[in-house]
Amino acid sequence: MTIKSIKGCIGCGTCVQTCPTDVLRQDTETGKAFIKYPADCQMCHLCSMYCPANAITISPEKSIPVVVSWG
Amino acid sequence: MTDFKDKKKISRRNFMAIAGGAAGVAAMAALGVSAASGECRPNIPEIDVDKIGSTEHKTDVLVVGSGMAGLFTAVKAHDAGASVLMVSKGRLGASGMTPFARGIFAHDPAKASMDLDAFVKGVSRSALETNNPVFTRQMAAHSLERVKELKAWGFFETPLYANVFKKPMDQRNIPVMERVMLTHLIKENGKIAGAAGFDLDEATIHFFTAKSVVLCTGAGGFKPNGFPICDLTHDGTMMAYDIGAKITGKEWNDGHPARRENPADVFGQWGRMLEGPPSVNGVEIHHDLGVDLNYNVYRQGPGGEKNSAPPLSGQKMAGGPFRPAGFDSPGRPPMGGEGDKGHGGLPPGKDHGKGPGHPPGMGGVPSGGASAGMSIHKAEGLVPMDENGASNIPGLYAAGDALGSHMSGGIYTQIGSSLAGSAVQGAIAAVAAAAYAKKITVPVISKEKRLKIEEKILAPLKRERGYSPAWVTQTLQGIMIPNFVLYIKKEAMLTAALAYIEELRDHHRPMLRAADMHELRLAHETSNMILNAEMKLRASMMRKESRCSHYRLDYPDMDTKNWNAWINIYKGHDGMMSLETQPFDRWPS
Repeated sequence: MTIKSIKGCIGCGTCVQTCPTDVLRQDTETGKAFIKYPADCQMCHLCSMYCPANAITISPEKSIPVVVSWG
Repeated sequence: MTDFKDKKKISRRNFMAIAGGAAGVAAMAALGVSAASGECRPNIPEIDVDKIGSTEHKTDVLVVGSGMAGLFTAVKAHDAGASVLMVSKGRLGASGMTPFARGIFAHDPAKASMDLDAFVKGVSRSALETNNPVFTRQMAAHSLERVKELKAWGFFETPLYANVFKKPMDQRNIPVMERVMLTHLIKENGKIAGAAGFDLDEATIHFFTAKSVVLCTGAGGFKPNGFPICDLTHDGTMMAYDIGAKITGKEWNDGHPARRENPADVFGQWGRMLEGPPSVNGVEIHHDLGVDLNYNVYRQGPGGEKNSAPPLSGQKMAGGPFRPAGFDSPGRPPMGGEGDKGHGGLPPGKDHGKGPGHPPGMGGVPSGGASAGMSIHKAEGLVPMDENGASNIPGLYAAGDALGSHMSGGIYTQIGSSLAGSAVQGAIAAVAAAAYAKKITVPVISKEKRLKIEEKILAPLKRERGYSPAWVTQTLQGIMIPNFVLYIKKEAMLTAALAYIEELRDHHRPMLRAADMHELRLAHETSNMILNAEMKLRASMMRKESRCSHYRLDYPDMDTKNWNAWINIYKGHDGMMSLETQPFDRWPS
């Protein structure tokens, strides 16, 4: 996983609005943010930087294979 | 993001059954019928294609993109008397590369170590004449004014630019539409007439009638790992190319590496810098972030030990990229995103000199291709016809990384100049676009064109069978990102890669499939990346020399006799990609 967990979400929607790659969405019932498209997370942390409730934890591993120039 | 009622689940099978009624959708759109509010939920994960309507918008100047260039374009076009509408795929001040840039250059004549003439000369020497000195000078000459305005808006007080950018926009009541991806520019009677795209949160297609459009859409890459550009896929450039705009700068490469351990972890590598507010940089000319490290690794192999850079990574190697006199050592290049406070091209660590510090665990073995698919800032994008950022299509302008101004040429020169250049070019294009808009009447977009565009926008949603954008993207990355294709170039590999990319272009691009609005975005982004890959390969094959960040193993020397020229790319009459050269000292004819 990339964004690991969201705990203590207040449902403001700021992270959904802020995520450059559209990883997060709000649950239609509760209004709380959840990780909808984890493969597209670029681990830039903008979501957590803007989160007013400090609710987002992000891990450094990409959830899909990573292509780099050499290995 | 307020209405969570009327949840209506629709299975993919059901959706596909409905999706057959494309004619109905088109007819509905032609009538200008919008999806009734309440029928379509925000953040809809699945969509009902029957409920996709279209909405109309009209403005004098349409600003596409909401980073630094977009901000100044919107503000200055408004102040010049035009009605302005900003549209962004993301959020104002929080999309593209702007939110990650922490340094902005300002040339303060009272304090600077050199005057404008000397500065332009220094940049040209570093850039081996690949820069357009008109834009180099323009950036420096206007930088202080823009920095002062940013200061007044509170820019230097926080890393959260969204809060800052909102102020001047709110003060002027400039409308901003966020989370709307534009996919098409519209031309009527040879002039720009508007644009179209779709909403990520509603089942809506948006049509914009505009007298003038300014692309502030940034550059882009191949959704690489280790650099925060995965939302940037050259969308503006490819829309413009599609309607006949000329595109330049595709042979250059940004040479940012990442860390081999967890290379995709952007924050882990840049975090400490990203947490603080930005600052102002003075004159400091470099010749950095080309492909020196790529060449070292190609010759010697990657470093194998933990906390160790490849051998000789800080030194010039024989046969490698040429470095101009006075810039002998590939030292610590300016940081990407835009501007910096001296962050190295290598993730900072004990092997790479003093950086601004690094979080625990940093400084490991570097891996390449962090920013793959991106050229040098300000070096790729629409070909400028003049110093205002006008394109070859009347009414269409570009600013910032969407404009191939070659402000710094094919290499990084002045630290912080990328962010300054976006601000300066945005403000200048704004005034030109507003003046242009004053002279013309409101364009009319034909119904026929609307229907055609709507069909193209929705096509991936309507396909019952097709390739997933994620798979095509990964396949493209596998073709393009290897060091021996994108960075250390030679004819045989470029030719081979082009054959693969042409296969993606001809057979897979027309069969991209999307299950929801998020995937619709991915499908259009993937389509743009395929075009970008083709442009990069063709331009790289054409430039039979090595200079700045373009390195050919089979043509390792600089060729000033034949190659004091930029490469421009355009869609030929047969629809195929065509290339031409433009001498360094001339504007396009």
